[in-house]
Amino acid sequence: MTSFFSAAPSRRTLRLWGLVLAVASVILPALPLGPLFAQPPMPLAVLWAAYGWAAEDESGWRAPVALALLGLLHDQLAGGPYGLFVLIYLSAYLIGRVAAVLMSAPNLLSLWGGFIATALLTVVIVTIVERVLLPIAVGPYAEAAAITALLFPFVRPLYMSGAPSAWSQGARR
Amino acid sequence: MARRRSVVRRAGAGRRIPAGVVLGIVLVIGALALIIARVSNSGGSDAALQTGDDAAAVAGRVATGPARASESFFQRIGRMWNASDRIDQLERENRELQAWRDLAERLAERNARYEALLRMPPDAFGEGADVEHSIAAQLVLDSGGPFTRTLVANAGADHGVRVGFIAVNENGLVGRVVSVGHRSSRILMLDDYNSRIPVMGEASRVRAVLAGQATRPPELITHPYQIQSPRLDFIVGAQNLREGERVITSGDGGLFPRGIPVGVARRQGDGSWRVALSAAQRPIDFVRILPYMGVERPEGDPVESEGPPASSSSSVAAIGRETMAPPPRAAAPTPPPSTQTAAQTPRPRPAPPQTPAATPPSPAEPAPAAQTAPAPAEPQE
Repeated sequence: MTSFFSAAPSRRTLRLWGLVLAVASVILPALPLGPLFAQPPMPLAVLWAAYGWAAEDESGWRAPVALALLGLLHDQLAGGPYGLFVLIYLSAYLIGRVAAVLMSAPNLLSLWGGFIATALLTVVIVTIVERVLLPIAVGPYAEAAAITALLFPFVRPLYMSGAPSAWSQGARR
Repeated sequence: MARRRSVVRRAGAGRRIPAGVVLGIVLVIGALALIIARVSNSGGSDAALQTGDDAAAVAGRVATGPARASESFFQRIGRMWNASDRIDQLERENRELQAWRDLAERLAERNARYEALLRMPPDAFGEGADVEHSIAAQLVLDSGGPFTRTLVANAGADHGVRVGFIAVNENGLVGRVVSVGHRSSRILMLDDYNSRIPVMGEASRVRAVLAGQATRPPELITHPYQIQSPRLDFIVGAQNLREGERVITSGDGGLFPRGIPVGVARRQGDGSWRVALSAAQRPIDFVRILPYMGVERPEGDPVESEGPPASSSSSVAAIGRETMAPPPRAAAPTPPPSTQTAAQTPRPRPAPPQTPAATPPSPAEPAPAAQTAPAPAEPQE
């Protein structure tokens, strides 16, 4: 029993918990559980997943497909329009890919900085959508993104390991 | 040579875009196409959303069942914990309320006599709404997202719900049905960013627009309709609005019936007004959906001999005239100058049977008007 608790969880287990957290952050705000479960203050955990999966899953198709499905689910539960959360999550994924290539020797601070930049850019994208396409409230999304960015160091192990392959690829390049 | 070939191959591999990125870009383009399709109001997106709402409503009801049950269980436990304190508090409140009830009964009786004197129609809840055929529904999903504030109720077209119906709970207005599936309907809440509702102060009769601000309490914009009507100079505007005054729907625009409680006006530090929503006093669980289809559009071929002139279509002018206390000169109205438009000419009223109706009320009392005139009289030509 002691060894069960003291054993470090495998990378696969951590990734699974990260996925569970991301799905929960999509579903829980939709349930009438009170203002504590609304977004904000609940973080947008799918942004963490997008950033982490962009670093780890360098050429696979699973990450963008999973993000698109989570985005569609979020759009459905939030009352639409379809495509808005898909756009946000996939944008975060693509920005994370660029960050993975740019960072040569990442540490916790640079990873955190990269995530803050990613969240900030998604706010910019939402602002552009608000100005050009849809009348939506940017302020609450910015608040939720800020909370998500603040909490990133605590959940980072769920989404990216200490030495992800994409970072080392970026370093080689 | 072999070394050179491997270098070339590696350089080429470095330039190749990974499949995940390509797929991501394609999906981003698809997402943008979906948003643009929604902006261009294609019906397919709405239909898919409504179908998804039906399925999500069933799942949401199942998922929230244990949470609701445990919530009520813990509430019962909590109440048992301080039962004696609550009994003391309730007894104290009961004594106070009995005194207030006596006062309220006296005032109600007096008010009824005044209304009889003035022949005022009763101040009805939700004028025009079919309250008797309301549809009860349970809320099963809350958008909870950063962009929209909507709720999903488990009653849809199969239960008689239509787009435009009004959702209220025991405390007041919740919102309006904006999309309907077979077994679910989506309600746009008052605090949604896109929500704009004409309201008025119940006592001061100051009209305003209630503008949702997503996560913050809705803001009152107190300048709207009166600007175009020079006859409304008697309205002093937002300064008449009182802190703590009840805010109700005004019925202007025809989307909401008149007289539904919305909340209480609160002045902010910067001078702006916000409304503490009545419906948000406690978590919203059940709603009543009131059938209401608003005011019908005027027919294309109006009857010329009846009703006000075509140019006086602004309901604001008429309402303002009737709702505001008449100025002193109203007792002996003078004919309007010839330069006034037809919209500005006062609507004639039947001669009051009793002289007290013509006397202006005390400024301290609320204007007696929120009620519309019983029936518009024939215009004097």
